[in-house]
Amino acid sequence: MAATKNKSLQQFDTDDPNRIQDIGWTFKEVWRRTRGTVVVSINLITFFILWELVVIYGDINPLFLPKASEMFAELWVGLTTRAPEGAVFSGSILDHFLHSFNNLMFGLAIACLIGIPGGLLMGGNKYIESILSPYVWALASLPRIALVPLFILFLGFTTKMQVTIIVISAVFPIMINSWAGVKTTEKSLLAAARVFGANRVQLYVKVVLPYTLPFIISGIQQGIGRGLIGVVIAELFGGSSGLGYLIQRSADTFNTAMTFAVLLLLIVMSLSLINFTRWLEAYVAPWRNVNHI
Amino acid sequence: MTKNDPIIVASDLTIAYELHRERKKLVALQDISLAVDPGEFVVLVGPSGCGKTSFINAISGLVPKASGSVTVRGSEVTGPGPDRAMVFQDYALLPWRTVESNVRMPFEFQDLGISEAEKNKRVKECLELVDLTGFEKSFPYELSGGMKQRVGIARALITNPDILLADEPFAAIDAMTREAMQAEMERIVMETGQTCVFITHSIDEAILLGDRVIVISYRPGKIKEVVNVNFPRPRMSNSAVKTSKEYAELRDHIWNLVKDEASQTNRGE
Repeated sequence: MAATKNKSLQQFDTDDPNRIQDIGWTFKEVWRRTRGTVVVSINLITFFILWELVVIYGDINPLFLPKASEMFAELWVGLTTRAPEGAVFSGSILDHFLHSFNNLMFGLAIACLIGIPGGLLMGGNKYIESILSPYVWALASLPRIALVPLFILFLGFTTKMQVTIIVISAVFPIMINSWAGVKTTEKSLLAAARVFGANRVQLYVKVVLPYTLPFIISGIQQGIGRGLIGVVIAELFGGSSGLGYLIQRSADTFNTAMTFAVLLLLIVMSLSLINFTRWLEAYVAPWRNVNHI
Repeated sequence: MTKNDPIIVASDLTIAYELHRERKKLVALQDISLAVDPGEFVVLVGPSGCGKTSFINAISGLVPKASGSVTVRGSEVTGPGPDRAMVFQDYALLPWRTVESNVRMPFEFQDLGISEAEKNKRVKECLELVDLTGFEKSFPYELSGGMKQRVGIARALITNPDILLADEPFAAIDAMTREAMQAEMERIVMETGQTCVFITHSIDEAILLGDRVIVISYRPGKIKEVVNVNFPRPRMSNSAVKTSKEYAELRDHIWNLVKDEASQTNRGE
């Protein structure tokens, strides 16, 4: 921490040393830095307490809305136990979570492997662009859920089918963002590189690619959201494992606490992944967030 | 070819842009003939959209010409080259690179047969010249507009080009910093002895920096008049220049030339 602080202060070395002053740790300063977290925590705790009270005193059928505490209990148990060896069906949230998460990661990886080079090629070459773009737009505009029955027909109720649906859901935002990144590369940067002697390859490697990187990351971010929809849909429609399946099964068996626990887990998983990509985007392209500094 | 032959020669240069939708060609710049001597500071003024940038881009080799020719040291310009460097209005710095890495960029793209040690020395010298020592590791987004443009100037000077092209380099910089930058520009060009082709909207900037001011007319751009400026250098630090009678007359003269053209811009003709 100290090292990074010194680095950011280094540029002011030539200035009057009094220009940099210690703020110190007053109560106000601590509050200014932590108020965001504090407010969010109080907000969420209040929300769950109110939920609990509404269910207890509101005479609500637990079949429709479980107590918040029951949901958390279900989540805790579900995440800390695994199905015994050789079990036909697992009731453990962790098992289903791992299934879904692995599928999502695998699907996203394939979507990146197709989408990033595809988008870069489309942005870089007019012919490839005009050949591929009708198919890309057609598939990107089609609600992906409409393809699920077809893939079940092709691949059966298999993990392969689930991963395929994730790939087809996530690949287009990644591809279209990479494409747009190449296309919107600032003209003056290209002009500058050309004036200073860049050839075509250097132009792509040293200007277009770095410029496009944050676009690719925000494409992956959108891909995560879409991919997660793909995960749940694929498992709801056809499958015997995964969080989507668990939602279906727990609802069918009137275990609403479990349903809510899985929904909460999906929210947490989605937000964590998206926040990670946000952080990554800010890390690789700090110049795009100048307003915050 | 002797030492005093003009370094840049444009003869009957015409530049046109294709208007894709209308299937027509728009002439931006018509029949420009101009010879620039080595070490000369030439300033182009004219209303926006008159083709000043096209002219500078034709010299740099970024824009193809429709007819006529541009030669640099007697050979036809067909593309960018290390003998010409450019300073851009919007700085055009790579935002993911540090100041030092931006300044070093031309070395990466062009093999000039310079050793690594020599390159490091050049980077250091150029950053010193534009007064940015200590900011090597900063990123462009951490700098003010004036500092960014100084990085742009250092980058242009790094390969020691014969010709420095500048496209409204100080247009986006506040008035106070601009004066300091103009003084710096004058000092740098005096020190390096480079030939400079400079575009501006500011008549004061044109008179203070230029040995010759070329007034370009509005659409299509043609040379309306060439005005010689004979004040001794350095002019920026000499307050007598700005307060002199000749300065005021010159300013009025150029303003009258530009005014007619600018009013056409306003009417959108």
